[in-house]
Amino acid sequence: MRYFDARVIENRSLGGGYFVLRLGGCEPLAGSRPGQFIMLRGDWGRDPLLPRPLSLLSVAHEGRADLLAKVVGKGTALMERSPPGSRVSVLGPLGNSFPAPSADVTDLLVAGGVGLPPLFMQAESAAHLGLANGSEMLYGGRTSRDLVLLGEIRGFGIALRLATEDGSLGRRGRVTDELEARLDRGRAAASAQPLRIMACGPRQMLWAVGRIAQSHGIDCYLSLEEQMACGIGVCLGCAVAAQTRPYRYVCKDGPVFPASEVMAHVSVASTSQSRGGAQ
Amino acid sequence: MILGADSLEKESPALLTTCGGIEFRNPVLTASGTFGYGQEFDALISLRGLGGLVTKGISPEPRFGNPPPRICETAAGMLNSIGLENVGVEAFAREKLPFLRSCGTRVLVNFFGTTFDEYVDCGARLAALDGVDGLEMNVSCPNIQAGGIEFGRDPLVLGGLVKACRAVVRKPLWVKLTPNTSDIVALARACADNGADAVSIINTITGMAIDVRTRRPKIATVFGGLSGPAIKPVALRMVYQVYRAQIPIAICGIGGIQDGNDAIEFLLAGASCVQVGTQSFIDPASAERIIREIEEYCRAQGVTDVRELVGGLALGQ
Repeated sequence: MRYFDARVIENRSLGGGYFVLRLGGCEPLAGSRPGQFIMLRGDWGRDPLLPRPLSLLSVAHEGRADLLAKVVGKGTALMERSPPGSRVSVLGPLGNSFPAPSADVTDLLVAGGVGLPPLFMQAESAAHLGLANGSEMLYGGRTSRDLVLLGEIRGFGIALRLATEDGSLGRRGRVTDELEARLDRGRAAASAQPLRIMACGPRQMLWAVGRIAQSHGIDCYLSLEEQMACGIGVCLGCAVAAQTRPYRYVCKDGPVFPASEVMAHVSVASTSQSRGGAQ
Repeated sequence: MILGADSLEKESPALLTTCGGIEFRNPVLTASGTFGYGQEFDALISLRGLGGLVTKGISPEPRFGNPPPRICETAAGMLNSIGLENVGVEAFAREKLPFLRSCGTRVLVNFFGTTFDEYVDCGARLAALDGVDGLEMNVSCPNIQAGGIEFGRDPLVLGGLVKACRAVVRKPLWVKLTPNTSDIVALARACADNGADAVSIINTITGMAIDVRTRRPKIATVFGGLSGPAIKPVALRMVYQVYRAQIPIAICGIGGIQDGNDAIEFLLAGASCVQVGTQSFIDPASAERIIREIEEYCRAQGVTDVRELVGGLALGQ
């Protein structure tokens, strides 16, 4: 596997700093699965230096690949400003994926903010397999501006529930409140179909989703994000504390982990967070 | 057959070179900590095309490394505090070396310890292994018996350590020097005086970065090692200082090399070969390109043997 040259064929602003980059020339990404990611670098000179890990949003025929990103720093700001025709270097597909949709399980896809891409792709994959009614998406953000691509998601034919912290769209509160409400309803209805949870979003949200899943005894898969320089298991930058050994690596062991694998150290992590006191 | 002028010009320059007792097919190696144990790059680059590779630093026992976050990007560079995570000597010999034996390039094994005895023990065990062409000592480790001061900062301590390792290592022995010193020449001299074959200049420069939003350090250990093009001028200066001091020891230049011209700069400053580090994260196949660019430079400049460039810095009128 080597870096290949691709080009931006469309750069669509979604407001709120969110944008979708559509790349052409991504034939090597054919067959990518939901959860997998790429390393991407533009013609940026020496600063910023490193390629950026980005989850795939959608991969279509003829070498087309879509990415969703939000401007958070130098790299994403440069991407957001890259006009059609810009050349980018791409390495991928990298990492593992969420379990494939199945007719025997109902999947709850829990997305927080810019953590949407792998779940969007999972929903798309369910729709392609004719399993859209076996998936439900719960999607949360701070405000309505953080909830994007809603038309496309509805187009997959899956149930969609929204939550915003300011109440500007959907339930007022966090997506985890929506998840608990959904699980309580499910319990009341005593649905025969077993549930499975897949989530991607901010780390604190993921731990909360993991704890909820644990307390309900539901299988749960979390897609983690971490700083990484290489994406291929060499820099060892993307370590996450894990149960079976001290560290696992987001790029080569993940980015998707069973929650039980990475949840063991949560209490330790949150203690050290609160000790800092500068949040 | 008589070769015309055109054919002569197109003839490939000789890239073969020698550094610290090892002959390399070209002067480009990949640096420790940025190239795993070699096998990770098997599908990403032609290892046979490299001058050589330097493995991740090996300690007597396995190490799990530091808590995250371990890296962050800085202006034209990055900070890392991986914590010398590695599989340890035994697993290295059992699981990593069989691949390296047949990878078709020179293999230097980087090693370290946390005590004097650990260094000696680790060096002796690694040097005895078939498939190891040479060793590179990482002396930027805290000495736990001396209050955590790095072994490599004091010429006296460093000299003693090199001497002890030299006594048990019958293969080429290189020492990777820390730039976190006020006198790089004294460190290089301590290595030469105690029998080392080469010095690798430089390891990462200690630095830090702060997230102003959270007011927290960007890496968990607060301080980390700065690498990437940001450090190249410092590395080049140190290579040249050691070369100019005419210390009888070969130099391998390291620090922010991204292209052929960067590598040529190090050769001109006095390095016999170079190592490509952080750039392999940005593009795993970089070393291959850099070798090609050195070749193109030589051709364009009429250099027939890359060794002519070593120390070729032009000064004065």
